[in-house]
Amino acid sequence: MSTTSQKHRDFVAEPMGDKPVTALSGIGEVLGKKLEEQGFDRAFVVLGQYLLLRKDGELFTEWLKDTSGANTRNATSCSQCLREWCDAFL
Amino acid sequence: MAALRNKSDQEIKDLLNEYGIKHGPLVDTTRPLYEKKLKEAMAKAKVPVTKPSPDRTFYREDQEEVTYVTYQTPVRSEGPSGDGKPYMRSRPEYSERDRVDDKPYSRSRPEYSERDRVDDKLYSRSRPEYSSGRPYVDEPHVYNTLSSSSYSKPTPVVKSGGGVVKKENTTSSGRLIPLWIQFLVFLILAGFLYFIFTNMESAESSPFNRIQ
Repeated sequence: MSTTSQKHRDFVAEPMGDKPVTALSGIGEVLGKKLEEQGFDRAFVVLGQYLLLRKDGELFTEWLKDTSGANTRNATSCSQCLREWCDAFL
Repeated sequence: MAALRNKSDQEIKDLLNEYGIKHGPLVDTTRPLYEKKLKEAMAKAKVPVTKPSPDRTFYREDQEEVTYVTYQTPVRSEGPSGDGKPYMRSRPEYSERDRVDDKPYSRSRPEYSERDRVDDKLYSRSRPEYSSGRPYVDEPHVYNTLSSSSYSKPTPVVKSGGGVVKKENTTSSGRLIPLWIQFLVFLILAGFLYFIFTNMESAESSPFNRIQ
């Protein structure tokens, strides 16, 4: 039984293309806006950041919390989402 | 040190490597994160120097050592033949304590140290007492073999008498009860439970006999 949300499953199912940052699991409207302000307006930009951090889940979670003010749950969810996407498509 | 912002990228990278922090390329977006990590690492590196808790554990060791030392010094003055005694004496008396105070193990140690000062001169007498009392003791089987071995080999114990004791202290610095006693208690408990279990089984089988 997976504990992932529908959003997570949708995101991981296909290449992200130009999906907005709010398509990421754990990133809702509020967090999405904050990220866009920082210049991360697309999911692939956030992916870029994840890759820059050498796909380290902990580092990425920390970065996301610092940048967007996300809580641990959302940050971990986003991190896990990106990791699975990378496993499938990278 | 506080001017992390002003350092060049290369310096930050060097610092990250120094603290063993795994990092990726240092870019505008990743830099604040790494600066933060460095700050935390630096703060952590400073803390152990000023932390009082290591002192506390050290003090506890110190305390234990002190009790042993006060225990040993009067005995050592008795004579060279008594050199093996301190180490052995501590053990036998401890097992005596074991018999008496089954549960309050934590208390046994301080009580033990108190008694030692009292029975300072009686030690030579307590030895034969203990040897006669040995068969009386059923439980600390392992402990008896240990003490018997220590009796038969006083010299190796003597040489590192202080060292062995100290070693005991340092190795069991985290334990109030020595490990072997814990194992012993566990074995006794397991045996006891097994005994009950086997008895239960026999009780169950008897009703069948009666009915048929």
